[in-house]
Amino acid sequence: MLNRFSILVATLITGIFMLCQPATATEKTIVFASDATWPPMEFVDEQKNLVGYAIDMVYAIAKEGEFKAEIKNTAWDGIFAGLIAGKYDAIVSSVSITEDRKKNMDFSEPYYTVRQALIVRKDSNAATLADLKGQKVGGQIGTTGYFTIKNNKALEAKSYDEIGLAMEDLNVGRLAAVVCDDPVAADYALKRYQDTLKIVQIIESGTAEQYGFAVSKGNDEVLALINKGLAIIKEKGIDKELQQKWIGR
Amino acid sequence: MTERESPQIDVGDGAAIPRRDDRGLVSAWWIALCGAVLLLILLPLLKPDPYLAILRFIPDGILITFQVTVCSIILAIIIGLLTGLGRISRNRFINLIASLYVEVVRGIPLLVQLFYIYFALGRVVRVPDIAAAIIAMAFCYGAYMGEVFRAGIKSIDRGQSEASHSLGFNHTQTMMYIVLPQAWRTILPPVGNEFIALLKDTSLVSILAVSDILRRGREYAAESFNYFETYTIIALVYLLITLILSKGISIMEYRLSHYERR
Repeated sequence: MLNRFSILVATLITGIFMLCQPATATEKTIVFASDATWPPMEFVDEQKNLVGYAIDMVYAIAKEGEFKAEIKNTAWDGIFAGLIAGKYDAIVSSVSITEDRKKNMDFSEPYYTVRQALIVRKDSNAATLADLKGQKVGGQIGTTGYFTIKNNKALEAKSYDEIGLAMEDLNVGRLAAVVCDDPVAADYALKRYQDTLKIVQIIESGTAEQYGFAVSKGNDEVLALINKGLAIIKEKGIDKELQQKWIGR
Repeated sequence: MTERESPQIDVGDGAAIPRRDDRGLVSAWWIALCGAVLLLILLPLLKPDPYLAILRFIPDGILITFQVTVCSIILAIIIGLLTGLGRISRNRFINLIASLYVEVVRGIPLLVQLFYIYFALGRVVRVPDIAAAIIAMAFCYGAYMGEVFRAGIKSIDRGQSEASHSLGFNHTQTMMYIVLPQAWRTILPPVGNEFIALLKDTSLVSILAVSDILRRGREYAAESFNYFETYTIIALVYLLITLILSKGISIMEYRLSHYERR
């Protein structure tokens, strides 16, 4: 009995050690965090896999940049706090490069350009943000879309944990409109809620808004690896292929 | 009154409510209160950026939290009273309905109930966000409150209602004039306890985009990246509110025990 028990313990310990060993000793593993609630950039499919334009992009970059990429699904609210606390090396979560964010983290070269889109119900007459004076407009907490609403004092801003919850509230009529990145707006208005929602306005903010991979401040090693892979991707035109595949234009 | 001699474990789910004879808890209460007040005053004074900015950002959230708490508790007391009466009813059908409600609600996590009432029922009837939050909280706490009412009514000696019946009161009159007024004394302290528990649980409604204290804090933190400072303030504000409330309930409990002390 004791013998059998010690064999079991020995097997367990060996097993744990084997798990701890890195798969390949030479390649560096970079752990990315992603809030996979942002289709078509990053989301969870029916098979519970993380998929999307940015997810494919990361794996392609890892291949070209010669590192191993691991992506963790992480809630958006707190995703930057986790990066600053060192819980992962980088963020791939449609993070727009802004001056405020640059103060707290470093960004890779941009990989996608977006604009903010205004979505309303099909039965709504509103065509611009100005038409929605005094009404409830929603966005995802801590996103540039939400900042657009909040900075417009004429609106009543409402922040959601996930953009999908805001879209559902718009769908059932608790919100008058939602503001978010245009590829995401297109995914919801043209696919998921194609019968009830429509995009009415692209909000011009003056400057182009670009997605970048975020790393913690001063993490030049990881940043260099990502930038190296990203440059090769752009050179080979893989980013265009992925855009065709996921966004279709 | 018959005294039950079985040992009781007196642990509330709201906050530790200090009794006058519980020295340890009373001094802990004072230390916690002074600490919270001191920090809430000193932090903004010594480091106005960001602490003062945070304190300026969240007051409307505190208002919403109170609004949700007070409305929910009133609704929950009404639901609880009906449920409690239903649970001791001799009518088997009413009894079954009340028991079913208690079983179902207590078997589902509050967070799931919130999502259910907000998003699932939101597809059927359009309820405004704060109303949905209040209904969900009241619906959940009504079940717990129902158990409190049931226990409170049961704690009144049978002799009371027997005497009442013999004086010619009918069942309803006995309940209204004899049993319930006495039961209130037993019921009120746990209701106060539930009130504190409910106030803390309202932080869950921030998930429904209701702008309570927590949601305001999260909005501030998400934009300023001051996570540590923001959540410190949020925790202190909640602590201060529950400490004050628990003292209030302790005083109320003391007043109500007047009759027993004599």
